[in-house]
Amino acid sequence: MSISRRQFLGGGIATGVLGVGQHLFPRWMPRMAFGQAGSRERDVMVVIFNRGGMDGLNAVVPFGEGAGYYDKRPTIAIREPDGSDTSAIDLNGFFGLHPRLRPLKDIYDAGALTVIHGVGSPDPSRSHFEAMEYMERGIPGDKMTATGWVARHLATASWTNNSPFRAVGMGTMLPASFRGEISALALRSIADFHLGGRQDQLAQVQRTLSGLYRVETPDDILSAQAGQVFNTMSQLEELANQFYQPEYGADYPDSEFGRGLRQIAQLIKADMGLEIACVDSGGWDTHDGQGSVDGEMSFLLDDFARGLAAFHADMQDHMNRVTVVSMSEFGRTASENASAGTDHGRASVMFVMGGASAGGVHADWRGLTGDALEDGDLAVTTDYRDVLAELLIKRVKNNAVDQIFPNHTVNLHNIFVE
Amino acid sequence: MPINRRDFFAMLGGVTPVAPNQAGGDDFSPRSPELHVLSRLTWGVTPADIANIQQMGMEGYIEWQLNPEAIPDPRVDEFMSRRQVLSMSATELRRIADEQYGFVLTNVLWARLFRATHSERQLYERIVEFWTDHFNIPLQDFLTEKTIDDREVIRKHALGNFRDLLFASAQSPAMLMYLDNDVSNKEHPNENYARELMELHTLGVSGGYTEADVKEVARALTGWTIEYGRNDMFVFDMNRHDTGEKLVLGQSLPAGRGIEDGLQVLDILAYHPSTARFIAQKLCRRFVADFPPETIVQSTAEVFFTTGGDIRATMRHLLLSDEFMTAYGQKFRRPIDFIVGTLRALRDGLEVDNTYVFIEPLEGMGQIPYAWNPPNGYPDVAGAWLNTNGLLYRWNIGLSMALAGEGYADGIALNLDAVIPPANTVGELVDLVADRMVAVTLPADLRQLFINLLNRDGDASAPVDARLRRDYLPTLVGLMIASPQFQWH
Repeated sequence: MSISRRQFLGGGIATGVLGVGQHLFPRWMPRMAFGQAGSRERDVMVVIFNRGGMDGLNAVVPFGEGAGYYDKRPTIAIREPDGSDTSAIDLNGFFGLHPRLRPLKDIYDAGALTVIHGVGSPDPSRSHFEAMEYMERGIPGDKMTATGWVARHLATASWTNNSPFRAVGMGTMLPASFRGEISALALRSIADFHLGGRQDQLAQVQRTLSGLYRVETPDDILSAQAGQVFNTMSQLEELANQFYQPEYGADYPDSEFGRGLRQIAQLIKADMGLEIACVDSGGWDTHDGQGSVDGEMSFLLDDFARGLAAFHADMQDHMNRVTVVSMSEFGRTASENASAGTDHGRASVMFVMGGASAGGVHADWRGLTGDALEDGDLAVTTDYRDVLAELLIKRVKNNAVDQIFPNHTVNLHNIFVE
Repeated sequence: MPINRRDFFAMLGGVTPVAPNQAGGDDFSPRSPELHVLSRLTWGVTPADIANIQQMGMEGYIEWQLNPEAIPDPRVDEFMSRRQVLSMSATELRRIADEQYGFVLTNVLWARLFRATHSERQLYERIVEFWTDHFNIPLQDFLTEKTIDDREVIRKHALGNFRDLLFASAQSPAMLMYLDNDVSNKEHPNENYARELMELHTLGVSGGYTEADVKEVARALTGWTIEYGRNDMFVFDMNRHDTGEKLVLGQSLPAGRGIEDGLQVLDILAYHPSTARFIAQKLCRRFVADFPPETIVQSTAEVFFTTGGDIRATMRHLLLSDEFMTAYGQKFRRPIDFIVGTLRALRDGLEVDNTYVFIEPLEGMGQIPYAWNPPNGYPDVAGAWLNTNGLLYRWNIGLSMALAGEGYADGIALNLDAVIPPANTVGELVDLVADRMVAVTLPADLRQLFINLLNRDGDASAPVDARLRRDYLPTLVGLMIASPQFQWH
């Protein structure tokens, strides 16, 4: 079944639908003005979760390690940079990008991309479930705190913002980082965020639904969420009917990740009051067939890099106030396994993209041999919370990092400029 | 085939938000205690279910449903006989799945929805779903193995004995592969399965085990692997087994043994009081309320413990309890439940050519059958599912599905006259639709909203002519499916 308005109405519908729409929404619903929530003062955060455990060692290759890297990965290693498209892309003489991350090279060269290597959570869990939970809640090792770091950030912010788009999770469910006393929006498709059914009965359908859900007198989670749906439909009405044309030739990949980034760009440009958006990039659990230049991981890297590059191009007039940051629950084993893949490891990489990114590769690098390893794998030498805390302090202007990341002493690594 | 392997791989990771729900209250009062029982035991109340419970009485109906092997199921039998991939051996199935991944996948997904929709063994299908979540294995990674696991582990033991279920799961190739016990050996014991076995399958995270227990259980289970290249079934490989002494939850496992180590561990876990408590807690969360009263968790755990893990006896206790009987309106239908509920509500007038019509919205709501990636299974509380995206999907599925007769849903046809009998007045039509779609007594003000939809003056006694019925019955049905009363039960 398609729930697309376009399919129901055929072509040439935009004005008709908009014309009807003007009086569709009940009068009680305030047309919100967001005051732009200080968008000049703080960055919009776009948080990417690479779910499954991204292999940082093949994404950003420490070719300078020589045998320490190559001996551990006889079939899946990425060759030292030799200028060809089957070798690593040199960043600084020691680290190089996987060839499928080529779209990120120009951004890196422009100083708008920072790579943090050897980064992760201090908790040693190698269970996806546990490690993701810890990372998203921002409290590694603590099973009792239910709220997530994003929710605590918004709850402790010194400013207010009543936009329904303040915190948006692109997808079917809200990420664990949003868990808490905040009103977050789960949004999968802007274009489809409207009511289906017979459009000539739309006003009656709206009226009946808002009555059934007692939207005017919200007293439980269901009526509150229903009110949020109406609110969001109202706010998105114009956007949903516009064909979004990315700028500067940006070409987003046609994937859940690419569509998510594209819609985040749309929301930011439309000044909907967005402060933080989360989007997932899934499938990084490459136990077998991970491959080297080709293979399972190369497809994931390709999607990831093309998505980021498209976003960066599309948003270039806005990137001075947008920061994109990626993370993964853990990295993978330093040595490849028996099936041309890697198993759950420790440290991985984070990417930070935006005008405030300091650029370069940040790594407290100790190598891939002997005591430098943590339980046999790349050691976590930078705490992922430090990266997020620095972003919050320097770019988002929330200094309450002791509440957002309790029991953690923040070290600033100068990954961001003020 | 609309789904390819790569799309399917790109599913999200897992989150389990906790949020208080609490529907309940006057808006959700069932029309009768029988309707409450039916709304929880079935996947959506049909007139046939009502006739059955009226004839058998409430306890008789529950007992009937607790013995699914005695319930004839011709429609499902016929369906299964036409879908041979669902009854093949692992070897046969793997050969076909390698070549036609999408074909096998689509069959397995549709079978899940079809059985929930059409099986006479409604409670059994619900328990199957419970154990599918409990022993979660993502289908997208293990298409052949999970299909076999569903048949030989989950369905075989769903209402049997928990120990048998646990043993079958521990030796299921799907589970051995998913949680890596197949590659575990004495040199490198893999802790993945050992950990989840205690955390998720038996004791629960607070069930009293330590990190040392995880390591010891992993050692005990070394050698539990798969006979790759032969029949790809479970095998105990003594060469991979750690024969040293182990200490598990305070019990000593003597040195020099083989498969007995693992068998003893599973026995310790199956009969552990923490396991009784953990399973009871989850059953009560599924069948009573997101936050069930402590009394019912306690008494259910006792039955589970004293019967040695008799699932049928445990369920009987739970379903006959006062706590269950009074817990109406406490559970929020999960997406699969919502879709199947819609299918059951409309099934007398529905013809389905394109089964993907039902999978696409499940993807959009985040619950493709068997596709949850982490080992903890799809979340079971309203807070996980009740969000803006999911709610709007429900509204639109209701509205467009009810309009399927007018081409609003590709590949399905709907004759609503076969679902809703003739009515003379607007009030009568609203009541007929409500009776068919939801199990509650519509509060007067909500009933009036539907009447207003059909009659501008809100006149319940206004006549229903053919044109009004044609123009508004689909929207009326769609809105009933979209209503809060359809979402909670």
